[in-house]
Amino acid sequence: MIRKTWSAQQADEWTKEDWIAIVLSPLCYVLITIGAALAILLQISGFIMLLIGIVLTVYLHLVIDPKLKAISNEYETKQQDYLRELEAKVRWKSINQKEP
Amino acid sequence: MTVTFTFLDWLWVVLFLLLMLGSGILFYRLGKRSESDFFLAGRGLPWWLPASSVYATHTATDTPMWITGVIYKNGMAGIWYTFFCGWAAISAFVSTRIFRRSLAYTQAEWNVVRFTGLGSELLRGWMAGWQFFMNMFVLGWVGIAMGRICEYLFAWPIWIGLIVFSLVCAVYVLAAGYWGVVMADFQQGIIAFLVIIIVSVWGIHTAGGPNGIIEKLEILGELDRMNPFAFTGWWSGDFPIAWFITMMLIAFLGGFGMGTTIDWYVEAQRIQSAKTVRDASYSIWWGTILGLIRNSVWAVAILAFFVLFPNITEPSEYEMGWFRLGFDYLPAGMLGFFFAAILAIHLSTISSHLNLGALYATRDLYQHYVNPQASQKRLVQVGRISTGILLLGSFFYGLIMEDITSWLIFALWIMAAGIWLPNILQVIWWRFNAWGYLSSWIANLGFSWLVVWILPELNVIPNLLDYQQFWILMILGALVYFPVTLLTKSEPMDHLVHYYVMSRPIGWWKPVREEAMRRGLILTNGDTASGAEQASRPLDTYPSI
Repeated sequence: MIRKTWSAQQADEWTKEDWIAIVLSPLCYVLITIGAALAILLQISGFIMLLIGIVLTVYLHLVIDPKLKAISNEYETKQQDYLRELEAKVRWKSINQKEP
Repeated sequence: MTVTFTFLDWLWVVLFLLLMLGSGILFYRLGKRSESDFFLAGRGLPWWLPASSVYATHTATDTPMWITGVIYKNGMAGIWYTFFCGWAAISAFVSTRIFRRSLAYTQAEWNVVRFTGLGSELLRGWMAGWQFFMNMFVLGWVGIAMGRICEYLFAWPIWIGLIVFSLVCAVYVLAAGYWGVVMADFQQGIIAFLVIIIVSVWGIHTAGGPNGIIEKLEILGELDRMNPFAFTGWWSGDFPIAWFITMMLIAFLGGFGMGTTIDWYVEAQRIQSAKTVRDASYSIWWGTILGLIRNSVWAVAILAFFVLFPNITEPSEYEMGWFRLGFDYLPAGMLGFFFAAILAIHLSTISSHLNLGALYATRDLYQHYVNPQASQKRLVQVGRISTGILLLGSFFYGLIMEDITSWLIFALWIMAAGIWLPNILQVIWWRFNAWGYLSSWIANLGFSWLVVWILPELNVIPNLLDYQQFWILMILGALVYFPVTLLTKSEPMDHLVHYYVMSRPIGWWKPVREEAMRRGLILTNGDTASGAEQASRPLDTYPSI
């Protein structure tokens, strides 16, 4: 049900785990917000919505977290190169030119 | 009303202000190290710090007034208005991820990462100038809200509330830059959340608790106010379903794009200050849900205010409802604590916009166009000077701003309508180019004035409802930017391949992906080839426009 191991490169692809997050995330926002308001008013429907919202939030993070970790680990190895490129660009320099 | 403070009340206020000033002194050394430190805290923050900043920044002095207004008017159904921040739900896992990988300091800089050539530079310059102005504008209107609160509470002239507290805030922003902003936001976020809960619970208790509120609503014949789905029909009334659907679509689907709401520009800075892609995603997701939970608490507190004062018809009066719950009912000695929390709410927004506006002025305007060889020390100096200019400009704006609400709706909502879809297309469609995007901005500037102000004034078209304006502006804009995009060249494939390998965008990128695979930069099973980032660079192409 939940894929825990990702190669860094595979995690770069958009997969069903991302779409689960994309669909569940707005639902979690709505359920938690409306559920919390109605729960404060002691409405049964509010407690049910809030509970479903919390369970879905936990599930959402269980699904997406291993993938986000893999993406982050992989990207950090490249980040310095990309930052050098960005600095060259803001200073109108060729990428091959070195910083003074 | 006028509130009288005791010694204990003033002590709370002074202690709070000293705590905030301490942030500036403590982080002064870190803030002055480099441009990256002054504006992004060195890109090294764990997710919960930018998350607290997201929450604190978007809890402004005018936020409780606005939320009180929509809940008092529409009942619990008004809570849907507060879902304008719902874009973060999808963005946290889509556009936040893509933007963080671009490493762009600002959304203006992102334009030259995604696009290339003259079009991208025009976009960068335009967006930087516009953001500098917008941050000054936001500072002015948040400042004037504080001025009005102080006038309401202490009968001070408006300029005192506008100027004095923003000056205190400027001390730690000037000293420590984003380090000061984010560390103060963390403290302010905790104080504000705590006090919002205390005042709201106090108000709910005063109204008889949850059961007392329901009983009183029943007696008033207003039980429908508890129903979040109490709409006024499909197309008409104050809150039709068509408006609800439009709001939800705009809010949530906007998360596929960048800049679909004005809040994105603030969050973009928080995204880049997070230490990893994962931290960036969680900072946006958790910072926003915290804000939504706060709205839930507020909504119930405003229902409590409604049953206590059910017959207020003047918006300017009922919009102060939540503040009245605090100042009318909190015990002596707590009023100062409540006011300190209002200051926390105020300063967190002011500090963020001061630093953000200065970022656009420094990185995108000064460094890129005026002095590309500027040293880090010089860039930090320019950051501080820009902060000072923003502050002075905001005082000017605040004092001339009379009709805040109509300006707010126009600037934040309608002005964004025509570029909502282009803001998504730039992320998800490889063929969308700089000229198409630029034309959408220009077209929207013209169309939004025409549709919202000029044509109704000339009786050419009737005054339209908000959701009607949105869809019309979107269609009119599309009639301009789609032809412009398709009649101009796509971005160079070298540039697109480089961008694709770096950012891995979602959506329609097949030709670019295939080219990246053909070059061996991405393997067919989704693996990235070793050294892909070097191989994908279109060397020596950046400086040419």
